[in-house]
Amino acid sequence: MTSASARRDGEFACVARNLSVAYRAEPVLRNVDLFVPRGVVMGVVGPNGAGKSTLIKAMLGLVKPLTGRTEFFGLPLARVRQRVGYMPQSATVDWDFPTTVQDVVLMGTYGSLGWLRRPGRAERARAMAAMEQTGIADLASRQIGELSGGQRQRVFLARTLVQSPDLYFMDEPFQGVDAKSQQAIVAVLHALREQGKTVVIVHHDLVTVREYCDHVTLLNQRVVSSGPAAESFTKENIRTAYDVAADDDSFLEFVS
Amino acid sequence: MSLLEFFTNHTYRMVLAGTVTIGFVAGALGSFAYLRKQSLISDVIAHAALPGTLLAFLAAVLLAGTGGRNMLGLIAGAVVVGTIAVLFANGVARTSKISIDTAMAVSLTIFFGAGMLLLRIIANGEFPGKGGIQDYLFGNASVITIADLITSLTVGAVALALMLLFWKEFALRTFDPDHSSVLGFSARAIDTLMFTTIVIATVIGVKAVGLVLMVAFVVTPPAAARQWTRTLPGMVTLSAVFGALGSGVGAYLSIVLGNVPTGPLIVLTLFALFLVSLLASPRRSIVTAVLTRRRARAALKRELTGKGSAA
Amino acid sequence: MNFVLGTALLAVVTALACALPGTFIVLRKNSMLVDAISHAVLPGIVVGYFFTQDLESPLLIVGAALAGLVVAVGSEWLGRTGLLTGDAPQGLVFPALFSAGVILVTAKFANVHLDTHAVLVGDLNLAAWEQLTVGGVSIGPTYLYVMLAVLALNCAFLGAGYSRLKVTTFDPQFAGSLGIRVGLVNTAFMFVVSLTVTAAFHAAGAILVIALMIVPPATAYLLSRRLPVLFALTAVIAAGGALAGFWIAYELDAATSAGMAVFYGLVFVVGYLGTRIEQRRRHRLHAVRAVSTAQSAS
Repeated sequence: MTSASARRDGEFACVARNLSVAYRAEPVLRNVDLFVPRGVVMGVVGPNGAGKSTLIKAMLGLVKPLTGRTEFFGLPLARVRQRVGYMPQSATVDWDFPTTVQDVVLMGTYGSLGWLRRPGRAERARAMAAMEQTGIADLASRQIGELSGGQRQRVFLARTLVQSPDLYFMDEPFQGVDAKSQQAIVAVLHALREQGKTVVIVHHDLVTVREYCDHVTLLNQRVVSSGPAAESFTKENIRTAYDVAADDDSFLEFVS
Repeated sequence: MSLLEFFTNHTYRMVLAGTVTIGFVAGALGSFAYLRKQSLISDVIAHAALPGTLLAFLAAVLLAGTGGRNMLGLIAGAVVVGTIAVLFANGVARTSKISIDTAMAVSLTIFFGAGMLLLRIIANGEFPGKGGIQDYLFGNASVITIADLITSLTVGAVALALMLLFWKEFALRTFDPDHSSVLGFSARAIDTLMFTTIVIATVIGVKAVGLVLMVAFVVTPPAAARQWTRTLPGMVTLSAVFGALGSGVGAYLSIVLGNVPTGPLIVLTLFALFLVSLLASPRRSIVTAVLTRRRARAALKRELTGKGSAA
Repeated sequence: MNFVLGTALLAVVTALACALPGTFIVLRKNSMLVDAISHAVLPGIVVGYFFTQDLESPLLIVGAALAGLVVAVGSEWLGRTGLLTGDAPQGLVFPALFSAGVILVTAKFANVHLDTHAVLVGDLNLAAWEQLTVGGVSIGPTYLYVMLAVLALNCAFLGAGYSRLKVTTFDPQFAGSLGIRVGLVNTAFMFVVSLTVTAAFHAAGAILVIALMIVPPATAYLLSRRLPVLFALTAVIAAGGALAGFWIAYELDAATSAGMAVFYGLVFVVGYLGTRIEQRRRHRLHAVRAVSTAQSAS
């Protein structure tokens, strides 16, 4: 890569080039190029099995890509790990795990602590601030299994906030969430945008895409469209991504 | 040793027939444990067979006043206690936050520990025909009597008959647990029945191959058979054949080589059969998996470069 | 030191050394792996003996621990091929290794005093037989100090790796995104478990090491909602159960490990029934409350 294009890539919060992933012999992502400008909320939208979660995992190196690579702030992930935060889909943890809300949120600080150092007063203060920001401070000493689905999501959000990264990846943060939690998460999203942070969220609900996201990437194994919501999130593109017949407009009524 | 010599020797014939029976039944019924993703339950059962057998022995001696070496009675004791151990493990996992693997580990240790204490109590007492712990740990294929063989055949046949009789229910419950409840079968009843047949398949082998290695008879043949077939009947049949074949070859080798314990040699034969299946089966082998993966990788890369030249 | 006291102490120290790493095994839902690892001890010792020609050599412990690691890593690899389901990989690997061990013993080392059933069942009294004397005064069984060293190692490992073990156990994906090398943490942990199992089998026997490692943490897991509480309860149950089990076995003149296994089992059953009753009570309370609110609403 020339130094000029490297500088240009530095303007983006992250850039994925030619990313392909296959689970065994089945390709899940084909030649995905993704450019996420700094300071936007980018929604990754697409039908089930489109590879939305896989895209994020492959970018973060949690799934080994077949081809392609990803850079963050113009650098490989290993060099900017502290600036990148990840909020996984919630269904994958053991809710009976004997740990409190505060413990889980503190896990966000483990990346910056080494093998031996324990979270101290500074880390606790940061965790408290993150819990207050997501409105779960009063639940700090509860066991995580005692929370509702929305509260659990807010715990995971707080855990990512504690890292205070510049770039956030959130995998379906609104899944199984009550109205109050939804509001709390949206408020955090807006606050992050105001601070100039970059957020990439995998999102399911087409109705709220425009409300939450400035930029949209429509994905169905390949990138159908990507860019500012007004240009990218159009009827034609959604039809292509979701494979809907052209005359089925009831499906698309909300996009206008 | 010639084959003729081999087959004219009564002990050898007994060893061969006994182990082949065990391998066949365990192979067939092990398929269900395998497909339920609970193969190690057979390890729990084998360990619980110790207190079961000992309780049956005690009952026979104290209540019936018989010698206590009646194979059918011992098997019955082992089946009852083995089934309790399985129900305990599955029950704890279902009704508490304990996961199934931990529940199985707890069940195994409780029953085996109790068995060890019982063994001590029996050893301290004056009972005719009591055995030592090593008889149970490793078993002894060379002491299989005609009566033992007939008992194994009968009990094994009962278990296989149950499997055939409830084939449809077992299959449904194995592939789609939620659906089978919808159809109106009591899931709990089918489970109990299915696990009882697996218990039978496990305990009939304990005397000959021991409780430590019995798990291999239940796990290995289905794992090997799975690499060759896609259907349930195919898998159960092939697994039974693999079990019988591996046991027969292993038993034969142990006799021909002399001074090599039968159980471990059978286990190694079965494991070799499994390795061959894993490496060489046409559809699912590791070799084909690697090749398909490479091909997919190459295809995707071609697609990628093709795009590059078009743009 | 008094022989009974020394042996009881050995039981307690062995129980603690096993139970502490056991907590993370229970949390990782990998309990049956301990059974598989403990059966790999025999072939490990046999191969180790092949190289050292000395049954007393401490290198045997390392060899056996490596064999345990082979089972852990090998079954994980078999599982990852995607060709096998459920817990079958473990059930495939450990009987094969164990069989190889038995055959090696009978074929090659028939003259060596390596009793396969002693490996499986163990004998605490035998392990406690050799006394360590300093200046002509007995200060307890030599093996007590071996297990104390293992306990110290485990405490050091769990202390240093506490955060990493916690986060990789709770949410491996997230841990990976923090840059923690999840695979490395797992392998290091499995080696420590393997080493502990190997050291403990002299005292407890390979079959019942799993009782010492899994049942106290499993009981504590039922009763606790925080990790520090889980550790404290595990330690209390492990130590208390070791003494009670030692006493049962002493009275019955049976193997200590069997007494411990049965006592741990009883404590587990009591804990399990207790939580069940508590669950039922809470359900009923909820039902009553729901009915009363419905009535007051109407």
